[in-house]
Amino acid sequence: MVASDNARVTVITGGGSGMGRATALRLAGQGDQVCICDFKEENVRATAEQIQSSGGKVFTGLVDVRDQKQVHTWIAQVIAKFGKIDCLFSNAGVNARSTVANMTLAQWNLLIDTHVTGTFNFCQSVLRQMVAQQRGAIVITSSDFAIVGVPNAANYCAAKTALYSLTKSLAQEFAPHIRVNAIGPGPIDTPLLRAGRTPEEYESARKVFEGKLPMHRLGQPEEVAAVVDFLLSERASFITGQLLQPNGGQVMW
Amino acid sequence: MSQSNEHQDRVAVITGGSGGIGGAIAARLHEAGATVHVLDTKPSSVKEFTFHQLDVANEADVDRVFDAIGKGAGKIDYLVCCAGIYRPRPFLELSLEDWQQTLQVNLTGYFLCCRAALRTMRPQKFGRIVMFSSMAARTGGKNVAHYAASKGGILGLMRSLAVESAADNIRVNTISPVITDTPMPRAVVSDEYMQSRKAHIPLGRIGDVEDMANGAMFLLSDDSSYVIGQDLRINGGSTLW
Repeated sequence: MVASDNARVTVITGGGSGMGRATALRLAGQGDQVCICDFKEENVRATAEQIQSSGGKVFTGLVDVRDQKQVHTWIAQVIAKFGKIDCLFSNAGVNARSTVANMTLAQWNLLIDTHVTGTFNFCQSVLRQMVAQQRGAIVITSSDFAIVGVPNAANYCAAKTALYSLTKSLAQEFAPHIRVNAIGPGPIDTPLLRAGRTPEEYESARKVFEGKLPMHRLGQPEEVAAVVDFLLSERASFITGQLLQPNGGQVMW
Repeated sequence: MSQSNEHQDRVAVITGGSGGIGGAIAARLHEAGATVHVLDTKPSSVKEFTFHQLDVANEADVDRVFDAIGKGAGKIDYLVCCAGIYRPRPFLELSLEDWQQTLQVNLTGYFLCCRAALRTMRPQKFGRIVMFSSMAARTGGKNVAHYAASKGGILGLMRSLAVESAADNIRVNTISPVITDTPMPRAVVSDEYMQSRKAHIPLGRIGDVEDMANGAMFLLSDDSSYVIGQDLRINGGSTLW
């Protein structure tokens, strides 16, 4: 499907890989004008090429979500070019695994700044436009670990729980015209799941995940993209402030 | 939105399918090409649905009807449990009979229908089950101790079935609405009360049956292929946990 002039304009952070890329591909395939950013140039280019080769419309940016000025500048470009922003999928994330005892302040700050402050930066910038439009939908990538925690990832868990709380505050502050929901993915087969793990560690982590999961398999990024699509769409027009977990049954509350 | 005709020729059983929410889901599934069986105490006015009159709390009737549907169609793909009763009563006026009646229809009825459907779904290694709980399961409420208890029980039932059925490619989830504009609450609350609830809903409106049908269609579809054991809260933001 080719984007029409009045196509929905959807901003996706972390669009260079994993769930962000899968969501960009899905929504562009449905006709959205997608605007993707990432901090890795080769990744954002690869996603853009995939979208263009199937006839989709894509606008890209190289943005460090931690840098408020970069975020505001890129969002201003998006608005100047397309005149509106209908949807935001705030998804950019990194990982830096460590026990708390050995965790450096840099590892702590990297996670908090990227996930939490990065999402704040994007939401603030995009919400100014959405408020003016009196319309919009946002999905934020939290995690199952926001609810249950996990060892060796205190920085990740703290960041993801902060995002769950941020979601609920935004949902209340910007209702009724703008909806804000979070997703809590379980273990999804993405580059981030491999980050900070040797191939052997990854294989052993995968086996542990699969053994514990009721569905006995990792999720695919496309399965998360389908959930993001649902929450951003009119099909979810009465859903706000909620956490929806495509997690293979890892956590059931 | 899901691209394929994935609901075409699916066999769907909807309890409470003559009511507001169940009726809307039945209509959506029928439009999408599924064969729809409605189980209810009240007849359905839609002639395209196959109607089975029964009380979901009657074990023998439930077993007989599901067995007949499974044998007749050769399969049961979807079960949507909506059959329920809502009879608010102050706690000290709640008779044991009131209590048991609500538990029997709202909770035991779900158990019986799930058990009967799973006898067909397990061997076929495919199934999608969506049950309606309620935000009252979390929040409780004045005059609804029996109703809230029954809806809370559904969450425990759902999670257990989700774990137990996942390996057989059967996904089980619930939907929790807040008060929805249907004949069921309308029968016991005033329009004034219904309108007053808007003030407690950040999205500023009362949910309707299409909101619930949208959620059910999502949970029945492959769009939710990695979603099991979850409670989809379609409540306009009225409760955020």
